[in-house]
Amino acid sequence: MTTFLIRRLAFACVTLLAVLTLVFVLVRIVPGDPAQLILGDQASREAIEALRHRLGLDLTLTQQYTVFLLGALRGDWGVSMVSGQPVIGEVLRVLPWTIELTLVSLLLGILLGVPAGVYAAIHRNRFVDYAVRISSLLGLSFPPFVSAIILLLIFAIALPWFPVISARSGSALAWYQSITLPAVSLGLISAAYVTRVTRSAMLEVLSEDYVRTARAKGVPWNVVIWRHALRNALIPIITVVGLYLGILIGNSVLTEIVFSRPGLGKLLIGALNQRDYPMLQGMMVIYTLIVVLVNLLTDLAYGFVDPRVKLK
Amino acid sequence: MKKLIFGIVCAALMFAFPALAQKKSLVVGMGSADAGKLDPHIASTTPDKGLLSWMFNGLVRVRPGRISPEFIEPDLAESWTSNPAGTEWTFKIRAGVQCHHGYGEFTADDAAYSIKRASNKATSSYSNDFNAVDKVEAIGKSTLKITLKNPVAGFLGYVANVNGGNMVCKKAAEEMGENFSKKPIGTGPFMFAEYQPQQFVKLVANKQYFRGAPLIDDITYRYIPADSSRDLAFQSGELDMIYGKQDQTWVDRTSKLPGVKVVAMEPGELSELYLNVTVKPLDDIRVRQAIAYAIDRKAIVAFKGAGTSREAVSVIPSGYLGTDQKAPLFPYDVAKAKALLAEAGYPNGVTIKTIHTTLTGMQTLIEAVQAQLKKAGINLDIELVEHATFHAQIRKDLSPLVHYQAGRFPVADVYLTQFFDSRSIVNTPTAVTNFSHCNVADEEIRGARVSTDPVKQLALWKTAQEKIAKAVCGVPVYEQLQLWAWKDSLDLGYEVQGSLNLSPPVTEKTRFTK
Repeated sequence: MTTFLIRRLAFACVTLLAVLTLVFVLVRIVPGDPAQLILGDQASREAIEALRHRLGLDLTLTQQYTVFLLGALRGDWGVSMVSGQPVIGEVLRVLPWTIELTLVSLLLGILLGVPAGVYAAIHRNRFVDYAVRISSLLGLSFPPFVSAIILLLIFAIALPWFPVISARSGSALAWYQSITLPAVSLGLISAAYVTRVTRSAMLEVLSEDYVRTARAKGVPWNVVIWRHALRNALIPIITVVGLYLGILIGNSVLTEIVFSRPGLGKLLIGALNQRDYPMLQGMMVIYTLIVVLVNLLTDLAYGFVDPRVKLK
Repeated sequence: MKKLIFGIVCAALMFAFPALAQKKSLVVGMGSADAGKLDPHIASTTPDKGLLSWMFNGLVRVRPGRISPEFIEPDLAESWTSNPAGTEWTFKIRAGVQCHHGYGEFTADDAAYSIKRASNKATSSYSNDFNAVDKVEAIGKSTLKITLKNPVAGFLGYVANVNGGNMVCKKAAEEMGENFSKKPIGTGPFMFAEYQPQQFVKLVANKQYFRGAPLIDDITYRYIPADSSRDLAFQSGELDMIYGKQDQTWVDRTSKLPGVKVVAMEPGELSELYLNVTVKPLDDIRVRQAIAYAIDRKAIVAFKGAGTSREAVSVIPSGYLGTDQKAPLFPYDVAKAKALLAEAGYPNGVTIKTIHTTLTGMQTLIEAVQAQLKKAGINLDIELVEHATFHAQIRKDLSPLVHYQAGRFPVADVYLTQFFDSRSIVNTPTAVTNFSHCNVADEEIRGARVSTDPVKQLALWKTAQEKIAKAVCGVPVYEQLQLWAWKDSLDLGYEVQGSLNLSPPVTEKTRFTK
């Protein structure tokens, strides 16, 4: 277990370095001058050059890369070119918003998706099964920004139950009001994923000998399904949930924009538009860290649900 | 007795339903993801300039709701005089004006500091505007003297409440340095209170404002980049005022909402095609003329919407001091365009490349232009890139045809200098936005800038516009007005025809009528 962890962490460091370098190069290949964007279209060439110097953009690429790497090693990700605030602080400030949205919608996805998948598998090729399969396909095909607008039109305009600007905090009621629509919008898609995987994993397990044996022994059907079958079908479900977490964080970009919620997505779009290099670099590192961490947790979860899996 | 009971019930109802009391908080929805630099001497985008204009004053101001220099009136300066040559300006600074958040009284010293700061390229985007400033001195507490190297056309415009003319408080700016943009300190009707990144900036009323305490208590300026979300939040009543999507369909849709006022404000931003006169095939004036003949400005305005746009009248925007409202622009004539192309050696048509932004309003225009040019046998090859890339590439002189949409301070000199003076040619050390490499009117532009005779100045500007139009450095197309909507229960206190800072004037007189 310990060797496994050490090996995975070492691997994560290499991945991180590769991502850092790639991001450093990529953001600079894209045309666009941060100094010009900050000062606007009436700024004189001199003013732009002066700002480029202050931001260190007049250094050679190698010099900039060295400065960046040395800073990164010290845990210093630089300051945002636009706001002048430390990148790490800016990212950490909005990170809870994104994590909160992602986790709540994932939870919603699991709570809806697992029972729906199990139910569809038990009633294979019957009406319920078709209904579940069609609605999950619909869920997958819906771009999150479309479902978001539809939800807003129904539950914020026609029935004024929720605010359009979902960025409230403070009381529990305000929190509930501001998280519901964005989480439902994202959660429906994750529910669709989870349903489909649960259904196929359950179908496979249900045809196993031990399920038939358990039935033959007279174990109640409910216990067979939830304790014997589902337990064994969990591994693929966990894999999907783990992989999906990364996709969810990506999808949250659009959801945050439509629901006017702060978060990594909105920060990313702003940084891209302004060519805020340090901010983009810092954010990519955070995204990479999250994906690496989630993959690690997924691997650890295998061992937890199935003792036969040994982590080496 | 009945009257007494009635009175008690009424009083009870007033306390029971505070929502019925007059609204005192204004919530504005702006179309950007976040604030930029909240420093009036740096800010150049619509979202930032609009917000800052509610916090700052100039030495003079253009009357709220208007944009023309003829409406210039006192602001922080009570009065001013200049010598006959127009090179020495003396301003009498209003006594007793307080800087926000206890930064003390605003004096001539603050004014002098502010102008020096706006002239400094390290602290200002507008340093070019003050190139002619020789000396700025505070004489005592209430007199400011500005000496110019040469007279400047419409000089008062540079010390008005826009761009570099906004007055900052010296103590605050010196104390905070680069952090000034995190807590901007001015003298205006509203003061900076709070910034929640990606969410909002909150301003509170400056109760000590020299024109009187504002009638509303606070302003929340929310950043909502998605047009549809902003519209929905306005519709649901969460926002009182919104920045509109800049097209006619938005106007048609929003005007139908009950209790809503949609306003198309000045200044119009001029959409113009700048043709690089130094590259093939645009170096041939006949090709440039063919393009000019092939553009049907009436059809473009019909396409863009008559309520929100209007035909261009000259190579610079209409209504500016010095704009030739009847400049000799080319009429729409496809046959002539084809003939000119054939004469230039392109009987089978010609292909011209343009690098263009994906910004919606601008993209629909260039596609309409492409369709019109096609009829004359000109194939416009549009390379679409994202907005920041567009700005970078056109400044590297990579696009032979540049479509740009802009408005400037409404004096002809500013637009002419930035877009048509050869000193402003892109990719040179003194570059601004002369994309066409135009140099036909340098003499007139520079002559008008230092002329002290208003009649001669106007004549020079007129000649400059004629020469530029004749040389087809630019093909002006149409002007886009600024679109906003607000609840009709919001009374801004002024009739709004326009705003130099591009957002409706929210002042001490702004209030809700219910």
